[in-house]
Amino acid sequence: MGVKMTRGAYALPGTSLEYKTGTWRIQRPVHRHAPAPCHHACPAGEDAQQYLALVEDEHYREAWENLVAANPLPAVTGRVCHHPCETACNRGQYDQPIAIHNVERFLGDRALTEGWRYPVNPAPEQAPAVAVVGSGPAGCSAAYHLTRLGYRAHLYEALPMAGGLLQSALPPYRLPRDILNAELERLLATGIEFLPGKRLGRDFSLTELQSDYPAVFLAPGTQRSRQWDSGGATPRDLHVGLDLLKQWVAVGTIHTWSSAAIVGGGNTAIDLARILKHAGVSEVHVVTHHSLPGPGKAPTDVMPAIAREISQALEEGVTIHEHRGVQRLVLRGERVVGLELVHMKGLPDGNSGLRRTTFEGTETLLHVDQVIPAIGQVVDPAGLEMLLDHKPFLTADYNGRVAEHPDLFTGGDTRGDHGTVSEAIGDGRRAAEAIACLLQQLDAPATPSEQPISLSQLNLNYYEHAPRPEAPVLPVSERTGSAEVEGGLERQQVQAEGHRCLSCGNCLSCDNCWTLCPDVAVLKSVAEAADGSHYVFDYGYCKGCGLCARECPSGYIIMQAEQ
Amino acid sequence: MTQEATIDIARLRRQQPRFSGLESGHRACLGCGEALAARLVTESAGPDVIYANATGCLEVFTTAWPESAWRVGWLHSLFENAAAIASGMEAAMKSQGKPTKVIAMGGDGGTFDIGFQALSGMLERGHNVLYVCFDNEAYMNTGVQRSSSTPHSAATTTSPSGKVSMGKRHLKKDIVTIVAAHHIPYAATASVAYPSDIRKKVRRAMAIDGPTFLHIHSPCPLGWGHEGDISIEVARLAVQTGLFPVIELERGGLAGSMPIRHVRPVTDYLKLQNRFRHLFADNDRAREELEHLQALADHNIEFYGLRGSQPDALDTEGADTVRRGGLRWA
Repeated sequence: MGVKMTRGAYALPGTSLEYKTGTWRIQRPVHRHAPAPCHHACPAGEDAQQYLALVEDEHYREAWENLVAANPLPAVTGRVCHHPCETACNRGQYDQPIAIHNVERFLGDRALTEGWRYPVNPAPEQAPAVAVVGSGPAGCSAAYHLTRLGYRAHLYEALPMAGGLLQSALPPYRLPRDILNAELERLLATGIEFLPGKRLGRDFSLTELQSDYPAVFLAPGTQRSRQWDSGGATPRDLHVGLDLLKQWVAVGTIHTWSSAAIVGGGNTAIDLARILKHAGVSEVHVVTHHSLPGPGKAPTDVMPAIAREISQALEEGVTIHEHRGVQRLVLRGERVVGLELVHMKGLPDGNSGLRRTTFEGTETLLHVDQVIPAIGQVVDPAGLEMLLDHKPFLTADYNGRVAEHPDLFTGGDTRGDHGTVSEAIGDGRRAAEAIACLLQQLDAPATPSEQPISLSQLNLNYYEHAPRPEAPVLPVSERTGSAEVEGGLERQQVQAEGHRCLSCGNCLSCDNCWTLCPDVAVLKSVAEAADGSHYVFDYGYCKGCGLCARECPSGYIIMQAEQ
Repeated sequence: MTQEATIDIARLRRQQPRFSGLESGHRACLGCGEALAARLVTESAGPDVIYANATGCLEVFTTAWPESAWRVGWLHSLFENAAAIASGMEAAMKSQGKPTKVIAMGGDGGTFDIGFQALSGMLERGHNVLYVCFDNEAYMNTGVQRSSSTPHSAATTTSPSGKVSMGKRHLKKDIVTIVAAHHIPYAATASVAYPSDIRKKVRRAMAIDGPTFLHIHSPCPLGWGHEGDISIEVARLAVQTGLFPVIELERGGLAGSMPIRHVRPVTDYLKLQNRFRHLFADNDRAREELEHLQALADHNIEFYGLRGSQPDALDTEGADTVRRGGLRWA
């Protein structure tokens, strides 16, 4: 054992470091990064856990750079996203979820006031160019990520301005236009070639794009309203919800009926209901097959609109008729005077889906001057006839690849199964990555299968309860113009949220393993630990007791059987 | 994820940003509470200390001939005389005018039972020594025989559970009160589940000129019958149930205590350990003993006022709160 023995056979003082207790071990601790639930749930692919860690240390710029590595429009999504990250947040089961969307918005706004540029260089002159059709969130994200990855992006837009529905249909009280335009301007300044006024099917064809570019990302959105009638009847002055919304956004005024019913439970229906209410329509009804959001409601049954917007609409006096369908229009001539509503519910169809069922004997009459369908949009087939083949949407895989067309990719509303801004942004990023793989003749990125870490895998003894901050909200009486309804958090509140984050599945550098190892087999080193922790296991002495794994607050250490 | 094989571990070990008087390679069992407690004490006391160690697990597992895990001056003589040896060391240092502090260490056997009179003498003579008792509640080194520290109802090889006996018939000796009754400046209890609290108490004791005493509750996976990975969990529950009150006594009077934010039922603590397994049998004797242990915990909570009135940064929930970057309160 390397101990020097004297001739008298007594030992000079040795040290126990000669004795490697690591040979006792049958299992070893290893660091394991597991996706935090917020990261796993974010449709745009943000890793909130990571930027919250930077926010706690007040490294705001680094936090923002981490954020924009996934999502180039954080000031937009911090306002309009339905934040599934917060629904998934493990802290929600402990006390209250982290106010992630407020932190995202704070970082987005700070970047705009401070004038931070993306950590992205323009693509080199000789880099291949990729066509992106549509400059909504999906197209902007794809163009941005293509640039990040070193490709030139040609961004085609039918309208004079970029932004898609964010620009044309999102009410300014949810998304102020100075914020949107500042983020879009910064995005387009990364070297993206923006080509406004160019409409697919009118100014160029898909075939031309396919011959000019090695890959095309199709995100024209859903520009055509679904056909709506009630038993074959439609009122003469029928206005579709999204069109009214766009007109109001463009001109700032809307017809004020004395009462109106909007059919549909999505964001368009709720936005329009609130705008009518703000404009002075005394009775605004929303008729939806779905239920109001609330604890314990099945996600498939709940209205697709953002819960926060629904509750604000209710505050403002909008009446929502949940689980109702329109059975019949009550017409005087061709003019609507009312609706016949009926109770309706989604019941299991025996095929793991839902079947809308109406219940006889529950019919009621609702007197209104106007009925406005807001039941969704489909892709305008102009220019995409061959691909669509009479279907309402394009279909694509996880990476946005259109089947049987290796050079075609799609995302956002166009693919039908993704209807939110953050999903569109995620689609754009994944498609850009898949396009890069295609152009480098690599396999497309695999669909991630890792499951997020659950609350039961954390050690909650090491966290303190703390309340979530509440953002200021405009009083109902002042919600009339385009003034933003929800405010932002203060810097101190945002930093406190960084501190409240449980750091699920990631090293907190809290020193617990280093402090509690009975065998001094955890060594501290910021420089040597290359895995994102501050610690290195000394397997020469680690006996494999598992104490560090058990006491790791954030579930970053797991025990693995020795081979 | 496997770590890089290129890291120079030996160099890293020499560069650790803390003093560790107890090194790796010692032969303690997996998840040993005592090994952890001893390292935390050496870490807080610093290098200018000499130690007198009573016979016991700590002495045996750290000094397997011809090696030593100690990086500090350390002496072992007998089971019963750690306090006497420490007294002599302290007197020698004093006569040489050296500031080196002396710490005596013993297990519960060497402190509560065998070394009790030497301890009492050291305290009575007022030696400037910190005596640390690592309490694992039985003679673990010799094969789990009951000591006067073994809690009521715990099964050991000499207080077995069976048809006649429900484990140890007697109560755990209240050593800290007995020690404090020597009118010494500082006597305290602590638990390995709360390392910051241990650090604070060691530093506090080291700063005092005169005899001080620290009693650290240290789970023994082998003797208590639980897996090594839950040693901290077990220690924490002993505090959170009220069975092991964490208190400070100055000149014999209560000077501080760690309040319990959420008092847990004693069964949460007992059910994790095989030494209490017989208490979960479906019979009246077992139920009575469970009630007895709950009553002992309730008594501690009442007697020491352990029920906090509101959340406190240093109560059982707040005292071990972690911060990003390792900033602990002590």
